[in-house]
Amino acid sequence: MGSSPVIGSIVDFFELFIVQKIFLCYDIYHMITLKSVTKKYSADSTGLSGVDLHIENGEFVSIVGQSGTGKTTMIKLLIAEEKATSGVIEVGGWDITRISNSDIPLLRRQIGVIFQDFKLLPKKTVAENVAFALEVAGEKRSRIKQVVPRVLDIVGLVHKLDRYPHQLSGGEQQRVAMARSLVHRPKILLADEPTGNLDSINTQEIIDILKKINEFGTTILLVTHNREVVNQLKRRVVTLYDGRIISDENKGKYRL
Amino acid sequence: MFSGFFRIIKFSFQEIIRNMSLSVMTVLILILMLLSINTLMVVKVLTDESVAAVKKQIDVSIYFNPEATLDEIQEIRDYVSAFPEVEKETFFNSEEVFANFKKSYANNPDVLSSLDEIGTNPLGPTLIIKTRDPKDYTKIITALSVPEYENIIEAKTFGDTQTAIDRIHVITTNVQKFTYFLTILFAVIAFIIIFNTIRVAIYTQRTEIGIKRLVGATNWFIQGPYIVESFLFSIISVGLTYLLVDFFLKFLDLYISVIFEKNNLLSNYLSQNLVSIIGIEFGVVFLLTIVSSGLAMRRYLRT
Ligand SMILES: Nc1ncnc2c1ncn2[C@@H]1O[C@H](COP(=O)(O)OP(=O)(O)OP(=O)(O)O)[C@@H](O)[C@H]1O
Ligand SMILES: [Mg+2]
Repeated sequence: MGSSPVIGSIVDFFELFIVQKIFLCYDIYHMITLKSVTKKYSADSTGLSGVDLHIENGEFVSIVGQSGTGKTTMIKLLIAEEKATSGVIEVGGWDITRISNSDIPLLRRQIGVIFQDFKLLPKKTVAENVAFALEVAGEKRSRIKQVVPRVLDIVGLVHKLDRYPHQLSGGEQQRVAMARSLVHRPKILLADEPTGNLDSINTQEIIDILKKINEFGTTILLVTHNREVVNQLKRRVVTLYDGRIISDENKGKYRL
Repeated sequence: MFSGFFRIIKFSFQEIIRNMSLSVMTVLILILMLLSINTLMVVKVLTDESVAAVKKQIDVSIYFNPEATLDEIQEIRDYVSAFPEVEKETFFNSEEVFANFKKSYANNPDVLSSLDEIGTNPLGPTLIIKTRDPKDYTKIITALSVPEYENIIEAKTFGDTQTAIDRIHVITTNVQKFTYFLTILFAVIAFIIIFNTIRVAIYTQRTEIGIKRLVGATNWFIQGPYIVESFLFSIISVGLTYLLVDFFLKFLDLYISVIFEKNNLLSNYLSQNLVSIIGIEFGVVFLLTIVSSGLAMRRYLRT
């Protein structure tokens, strides 16, 4: 779907990271591990109950399930936005179950996240939004100047650097969010219904970019309601129901 | 972390400029608060000045018996001037008192003709006493109300002056109480307004705070710009208020100079206390904005 020029620049981008600050001691086999993880929001509201899940380095996993079955809860636990009620959560070999508040920013700089509602800063331009993630991590100015155009080139928005989010289409906004999630060259990319607000053409573009990022070694967790996307990917599919995993198939299909 | 500090300053300037209407609103409210505090300052200076003026016009008159000897009068004069509360005592002998009396009734032929009928001067010498504080008159009057002076002193302006003095006390203490009450009221109102303005601003920015956390910003990066903004808003509002107040005081001084016969009363007060006034105002505004934004932001900074 006309996204090949975009993909070409990914190789360029990864060459940028020859010397990499690696915070996580990456476990080759278990990039993400959940051991009987339960999340209770309150006595009568359960997000996840007793979930066991292992995701290996380089996998592309789709998480599917009806509304309210705990998909977003799982993402929130992985970025430490919520704390598990019981169980153990490891990301790249790092036990983040009892992560301290001061370590949370470090964790989030290692994991890329994108959401259905893009979550861009409305008063910052495209370039500033992307640069922000580098600035708060204390990256040097020279490096920021180098990385920002490169990641925006990957998502094909290098010519809209100075636009504000409200001057972009939904698909373009999501691509900015993807560019931002890539600035630290994350080993893990979490995507919570990234195409939920997009039409089929924009959806395909986002999925193509995700596939290419995955090909270069980033582990991807994609939460989606989109049957076509899941069936086209032909990758691992985990189905949640009522906070539990009810099926986990390699080369799975969307079956709900 | 040095570059982090410059980034925070950059972010705060960006936020001030890109949220221009909110920035202008905040500064306006701060200026209104500072203006009301300055109004109270003017009220206080004017109250003090008028109390002093009224006090200056109050005195106690001691009317001596026309038969009192000079020695007796001198003894009382010495006794009175020994009081530390007494600022000044002025003596008029019988002739002076008579001349003054005739002068003040020059337009009243009835009084003058009845004086002529008497033929002699019926008035005794008078001592006019001025104390530093009106409330000390009671002390002087009590001290002179002893039996040994009963034959020397014919009258003391006791009754009327006493109630006048009491009333001035009631008025000045009430004005002072009212001024304090107003000061506290204005401070509370300003705090509520500013707290709410910032709370509303942060409420609308709570998604932004969430986004910043999401991309790995530490609390320092999220709060820092607000602190710098508070600092800049404080400087701007105190500066603009100073210019406004300076202008208005010069204007008011024109009218005040007519009443109190003092030039630049308010402007002089401002320039003499400039450092403490500006310092206190800046401190209050900075603290107020920091505390209110801190309170408003606290719940969004937790994970
Ligand atoms: N902050 C919260 N407080 C209380 N209950 C919550 C909270 N967040 C989620 N829940 C509950 O946890 C359960 C799982 O919610 P979650 O958001 O993970 O669902 P989801 O699978 O992402 O749904 P959707 O497909 O609609 O996004 C739901 O029953 C929800 O009501
Ligand atoms: Mg969800």
